[in-house]
Amino acid sequence: MLRRSFGLLLLAFLLPLGSATAQDEVTLTLVHPWAGAERALFEPVLRAAEEALGITIDDTVLRIEEHMVLLPTQWAAGTAPGDVMFAGEPGLVRQAHAGGHYVDLRLVLDADDFTPGVLEARTIEGMVYGAPFTHKPKPGFFYRVSFFEEHGLTPPTTWGEFIELLDTMLAIDGIDAPIASGNGAGWPLADTAEHFLVAFGGPQLQMELAQGVAPEFAWDLVGAIYRDVLVPMLEAGYFAEPLEWTTALERWWRGDHGIYFMGTWILGMIDDPDDAAVFTIPGTLGITTSVDYMVVNAYSDHLDEAIELAAWLATEGQRLQVQEGGHIATYHPATDPDLYPPAEQSVVEAMEGAVFLTGLHDTVGGEFRETLLDQLQLLWVAPDAVDDVLLNVREAWERVTGGSQ
Amino acid sequence: MQTLRRFTFVLPTLALVFAFAVYPALQTIRLSLFLPTGEFAPLANYAEVLSDRRVLNLAGLSQGRFPMGSLVHTFIWIVIHLPITALLGLVLAVLLQNVRGGGFIKSIIFMGMVIPGAVGGLVVRFLFERDLGIVNQLVVLLGGSARTWTAYPDTALLSLIFGSVWLWTGFSLVLYSSGLGTIPRDYFDAAKVDGANELQIFGRITVPLLRPITVVVVVMSIIWALKLFDYVYAATMGGPGRATQVLALEIWHLAFVRGNFNQAAVVAVLLGVISLTVSIPMLRRRR
Repeated sequence: MLRRSFGLLLLAFLLPLGSATAQDEVTLTLVHPWAGAERALFEPVLRAAEEALGITIDDTVLRIEEHMVLLPTQWAAGTAPGDVMFAGEPGLVRQAHAGGHYVDLRLVLDADDFTPGVLEARTIEGMVYGAPFTHKPKPGFFYRVSFFEEHGLTPPTTWGEFIELLDTMLAIDGIDAPIASGNGAGWPLADTAEHFLVAFGGPQLQMELAQGVAPEFAWDLVGAIYRDVLVPMLEAGYFAEPLEWTTALERWWRGDHGIYFMGTWILGMIDDPDDAAVFTIPGTLGITTSVDYMVVNAYSDHLDEAIELAAWLATEGQRLQVQEGGHIATYHPATDPDLYPPAEQSVVEAMEGAVFLTGLHDTVGGEFRETLLDQLQLLWVAPDAVDDVLLNVREAWERVTGGSQ
Repeated sequence: MQTLRRFTFVLPTLALVFAFAVYPALQTIRLSLFLPTGEFAPLANYAEVLSDRRVLNLAGLSQGRFPMGSLVHTFIWIVIHLPITALLGLVLAVLLQNVRGGGFIKSIIFMGMVIPGAVGGLVVRFLFERDLGIVNQLVVLLGGSARTWTAYPDTALLSLIFGSVWLWTGFSLVLYSSGLGTIPRDYFDAAKVDGANELQIFGRITVPLLRPITVVVVVMSIIWALKLFDYVYAATMGGPGRATQVLALEIWHLAFVRGNFNQAAVVAVLLGVISLTVSIPMLRRRR
């Protein structure tokens, strides 16, 4: 009797627990690349997603270099580090397509809702693998308005004025080098070099290189831009020695450097975004940008919720994210300039009319990305190695894309 | 019957060794003999890998400038790193042998061994950084000009090698310290009675009697240098311009960046062959 009573009591105790478990919120692991200040800007979006979708998000940081190592081995075991991951690197997407590791999102994303070409960039054989999040344009060289005013400097309108500006800054006491050079894994240098390619080779050159269809002479043009523009500038001491990019950001902001080629994300990382302004190399017709893509892990235990989260972040999530600063939407309803902080409104306006270009290393990806980033770190400190740099970069590009047309 | 019983006890270990060491090694060798297309081509992968500038850069080697290729970089690493850490460990072990608080100092030095390689790599990156690094503060104090030593191809590899000395010296220090404890005091006393000075005692008694320990230090240090990955990855990722690329990092690059597991297997086999070529004769001589 006592035993039966105890059994009933236990059952009565466990039953509500069981029903509570069934009603428990689903916990999804979201893997993104942002830490520190960048993560703080993403936090409100995460909390809003939890509230809107009735899920719990456990977010963790992994960068693309880590994904490239982790994912192929985890796929072999039928798993991945997260349900939704910012792991839309083109090389990984190609591998995932071949092995069925990412979920096709074409049913939940409509190309008409996004900036033209964005969804297509992660589409293979009609299957959409990347849910676009915001993008971060790299509009040009950022400068402090107060710094320019203090030293009587003005943004250049011609190439000659640009060089004149650099020479003037070189002569200012306390200026280490006119242009800050960010480093880390090499991407800030790649972004800078791409800006020169777009400025001197035109948007077409960038597009053909990114799409892997550049004709033979395109590489002659790349070589000429590197040898005749970048190398003389490096040798003249216009660029600073590469420093970890956030350290370089601090140095630029405190006046050790006059200008810094970066993306809009730095506007969310500086004390007074209204004191920052940007100019391109005069005559530049295109602006490169890097879109952050989410993918849904095909091995997720909560596939429906993961797809729902990716779709929400790609749409409503963008609307919230842009209000935090540092991000520009790829989702049309979130491109209204009124949504943006004042510092970004000028960037959004500057994007209008400019040719939208995806970053070269982000688009080609794979071995090309790693080689380009590595070789530019060499070029920045050893400009005389330009021929080796060009050879290595071109070989990697040919291996990934299949070669010149 | 007794043999069978003994074999039964050894069987679980043998199974584990076979599953986690022998089988993967055989698979790696097999993989290195095939092209990514599945075609059997025993020499093609080896020829391609050894002619790749990433592995062996003859132009850089002949001009004495970096990058020289991961094979050469690994060799340079061993040639510089091994004698420094072994000698430093030995000298420190002797100096701290009878010092009060010597154990505490040894523990501090040994902390380098406890720190994960990736953390060590990050620490070294900052040590040699232009503005933040202590190395540059010393350089400036001595009248030199500061720069980020790991950012330049001519100094990056050497910076990493010297930076790694503190990580590995603890290993040789601990081994030599325990080896010193096994040498009978009588030998030292007898030498002193015979009029030998400290240097003679060190060269004629301490060093020869520590020879078995030295063999272990040398073999383990070489193996450590050959499989070095996390430290370099965190410090420079093999850059700038592949100037710090080493063999283990090359395996990662070929497998996960280039996506060519067959070529990665070739480097792994070469790494295995070099390890065995160095360690087997040394361990035999130890007997």
